[in-house]
Amino acid sequence: MAEVGARYRKKRLDRGIKARADTIFAIASYKEILYLLLPRALPVITLLVLPLLLRGYWGKVLVYSCIVGLLALSWDFLASCGLFSLGQSLFFGIGAYVAGTLSYYFHWSPVLTLPIAFLGGGLISAVLLSPVLRLRGVYFAMVTLMMPLLFMKMIETTGLLGGSHGLSALVPFPNDWVARYLAVGAFIIVLFIFRRVINEDYGLVLKAIRDDDRAVMSAAINIYWRKTQALFVSGAVGAFAGAFMTHHYQFVGMTVFALDYSILPLAASALGGPGTFAGPALGSMILVPLSETLRALGGLRIALYCFILILSVIALPEGIFHYIERKYHQFEKLVRIG
Amino acid sequence: MSLLIYGTISSIVLALYAAGFSLTYGISGLANFAHGALYILSGFIAWSLLNQVELPYFLSAILSIVISGFIGFAIYWGLLLRVRGIPLAELVVTFAAGVAILELLMWKGFYGIQYSLPLFVEGGIEIGKVAVDYQRLFVIGTGVVLVILLYLFVHYTKIGLAFRGMAQNERTALSVGIESDWIGSLSLAFGSALAGVAAIVILPMGLMESAIGYEVLIYALAVAIVGGLESTPGIIVASFILGFGQVATAKFLSAKWMIIVPLVAIIFVLVIRPSGLFGKYKELEERI
Amino acid sequence: MKNKVLLIFLAAVIGVSFSVIFAPSMAFSSPAEPIIVGVPTSIYTPFGRDGLKAVNMAVEEINAKGGVLVGKEKRPLKVVVSDTRDGEPTTPVHDALMAYEKLILEQKPHATVIAPFRSETIIASMDLVAKYKVPQLQTIAQTPQFQVKFRTDPEKYKYLFRVTTDAAIDAGYLSGALDALKADFGLNKVYFIPQDTLWALGFVGVLRKHCEKTGWQEIGYEPYAAGATDFSPGLTKAKEGKAQVIAMVWDVPLGAGIFSKQWAAMKVPAVVVGFVPPMAAPDAWKTVGKDVEYSIHVEFPVGASVPLKRLPKTVEFLDKYQKKFGKLPEAAAVNSSAYDSVYILAAAIERAGSLDPDKLVTALEQTDYRGVGGRLRFNKDHIIVFDSNPEETGVCVVFQWQKGKRVPIYPAFLAEGKVALPPWMK
Repeated sequence: MAEVGARYRKKRLDRGIKARADTIFAIASYKEILYLLLPRALPVITLLVLPLLLRGYWGKVLVYSCIVGLLALSWDFLASCGLFSLGQSLFFGIGAYVAGTLSYYFHWSPVLTLPIAFLGGGLISAVLLSPVLRLRGVYFAMVTLMMPLLFMKMIETTGLLGGSHGLSALVPFPNDWVARYLAVGAFIIVLFIFRRVINEDYGLVLKAIRDDDRAVMSAAINIYWRKTQALFVSGAVGAFAGAFMTHHYQFVGMTVFALDYSILPLAASALGGPGTFAGPALGSMILVPLSETLRALGGLRIALYCFILILSVIALPEGIFHYIERKYHQFEKLVRIG
Repeated sequence: MSLLIYGTISSIVLALYAAGFSLTYGISGLANFAHGALYILSGFIAWSLLNQVELPYFLSAILSIVISGFIGFAIYWGLLLRVRGIPLAELVVTFAAGVAILELLMWKGFYGIQYSLPLFVEGGIEIGKVAVDYQRLFVIGTGVVLVILLYLFVHYTKIGLAFRGMAQNERTALSVGIESDWIGSLSLAFGSALAGVAAIVILPMGLMESAIGYEVLIYALAVAIVGGLESTPGIIVASFILGFGQVATAKFLSAKWMIIVPLVAIIFVLVIRPSGLFGKYKELEERI
Repeated sequence: MKNKVLLIFLAAVIGVSFSVIFAPSMAFSSPAEPIIVGVPTSIYTPFGRDGLKAVNMAVEEINAKGGVLVGKEKRPLKVVVSDTRDGEPTTPVHDALMAYEKLILEQKPHATVIAPFRSETIIASMDLVAKYKVPQLQTIAQTPQFQVKFRTDPEKYKYLFRVTTDAAIDAGYLSGALDALKADFGLNKVYFIPQDTLWALGFVGVLRKHCEKTGWQEIGYEPYAAGATDFSPGLTKAKEGKAQVIAMVWDVPLGAGIFSKQWAAMKVPAVVVGFVPPMAAPDAWKTVGKDVEYSIHVEFPVGASVPLKRLPKTVEFLDKYQKKFGKLPEAAAVNSSAYDSVYILAAAIERAGSLDPDKLVTALEQTDYRGVGGRLRFNKDHIIVFDSNPEETGVCVVFQWQKGKRVPIYPAFLAEGKVALPPWMK
């Protein structure tokens, strides 16, 4: 093995068109514009067209993929800030219950409850998790793992908010098309906003907090406030996903805090490539339809997510998206040495 | 009186759950989220050996403990070595492995009243008007013996000292010739074997099902966090606090609130004093 | 190098799984297109598993006779299953509903039987069924919420039918057994341990009211969370309070099994009365042990797992089941209603002469079928009427373990023995 490595090396070169399409030369010709635009436009166009093509059950799967995609994006946003959460279902559940309660007790329609759940959910999540913001790594992950479970058991035990029976017969969306395009639209918008923000100054500070928080502190930036903001944003997106599902299924119960909603975004992000937002989005678009086709296997699906998660973490830690990105921009070949 | 006895039993059960988890974390800094899964898995191995291969009970119990040790070793060698050093990746891998094992068992159909291990000895005695069956006394005995053995092992045997050396300072240990990969695998093997021991004594009192695996993980985490992730006296004190807390809640409030106790304890401790009651206060590593 | 291998493996896993999408999922049409009967339920629970077997048995019998007459042609029945997994403690309800919806949208069943296990899933599925207009004959869930929700909009929910009892009826039967215990042996101290779900609380609520009226002393009332795994506090309290009867209602398999074992281990000197499936199962004598002796259980409706000499149809059904599957069904509920519901459906289809949902609903409402569970007719809430005369209504039975056998003790016309008191209670 060592001998072979000494004879060959991998040589990576930027593709010609990438070199030509840098900075201002991007608008030099249509080819360059297309090169840059296509990877961004293609998914958007596909996602906008798919609801028209996919009817019935697969339309629902598309919606579910977008929801999981939203959860994965919110996970990635937290991870970009250095907060590794094992409990996205907390945000999901909070948003679901806010929307569900408003809809059940006051009969408000989604037009009102979704924005309230979005903002309120983010606020509640930020407030709940801010005391533990000082914790690092493993400890934060453990708290996020415990919190949804605590909520689930509290609701079951106290019987508040519908208890173990849940709240049903809630107000649905006016029609299916609204639901589908809302999910797809929210997904695309959040994806592009996050990708943009993380490369702006605001996002750079967040990434710096992940890399070395003491350095950021010594630059006189209050990292706790930034982290709380990150929690708010992430929580709001997760809460929106939860509120959407509540109205889509006209039901909310204590199982919205289930482990499934924490593992699925995690597996999607690990598969797609954490840190790039497009990675988790891609990962969820692959994983959810995959798991739906395997529904016949019952409980094996969750075991499958876990396998994929483990394999991705070990074999392809950078994720599929980075791999694709690299292949798109560069080509590699083995060059003989000596 | 019954509060005292059942509180003690509860506490020792919790200590048994947490012993393996704490050992692994103490030695190799690996939070083994697959602990609950390994617990249930050793129970099922024992059941399979007993019912399908038809070995005598004693032999199945011992074999299942040894086999879980091997499985722990294999998990470390196969999966965790490759992500060694990236703490969150380790956590994710053990967590996913645990969930995968539990879901596979559920899918294979391992649920139902027929999946239970028989009691060691039937019958019981009365201690001051409270009926205690022999199995529960056995649990208490095992717990006490295990803690004593663990203490002796970690302080007086060569491997035990090597474990502690690794935990204190890995680089120095390496330079003295203690190989970290090997010791790390052994730590997970020991942790799993301890989970197996706990399973063999505790499972006969109830049923075996994957849902219990998640519960055991939560309890082990609760005890380890409250007591301090690497200290043995911490486990004992924490398990008594939580055990008596649970039984008292059941007696004076209502049984439904029992499961809330460990969850609230975890969050409470993590917010106020993350290293736990007896853990060394590691300011730099934990807090910013 | 090794990572490449793992990478290829990962790609292969994803690729193979994706290729399943393109596998043909259409049922190719046979000469006579089958009538599709959907079974969306939790196969994990003994209710779902054995209920499905009963359904398959009924479908085979009907098909062996040529099928069901729809208009002018006879068409066979075909069962399609979707595991909603809602019996498992951690499955989200949304997931179960997705499984149900997938069944409806892909397999296009003409009707569904058995239906989801958990009460909250059933209530949530009512809106789903109303949306897709697929008649549902549910045979598991006992929650009284069904009627409450049905009455809010009978026209919208008319596609839903319940071919089993609800908690209040089961409790009514059990009250009769409690009366016998009081009258014959003078017992009067009771401890309640219900599962903290609506149907079990409703069940025990009826029992409590009855006990209050008839002079029982309530030692304690302690609901446990559905996922509970430790009943020792409650059992200790029962023992300390010298309870003579423990009224226990539980359906989640895990908790029921653990309760059985703990009750046996702690040797509480009280009679267990209620619905604890693992202790009522045919082989409980072996799996739980001889401690199940003297426990009293309710079975709803008859024929679920105890053959009754006075009702030959139950003996016939259980014989057939045992011959076909090797052993008696495990749970004291669902099996006979699942079997009967297939026949009810077939009869309704023949009456309606078509598979149109609205016509089918009208035909179902006119059901008057003498099945294993008694004479089955729906009332205006789309529930089967249960009372004490098998010639007029459906019936349930209460039985007690005596000397290794399950002896029916109530109602009087079905009884094959008298209620017995354990020797350690005298």
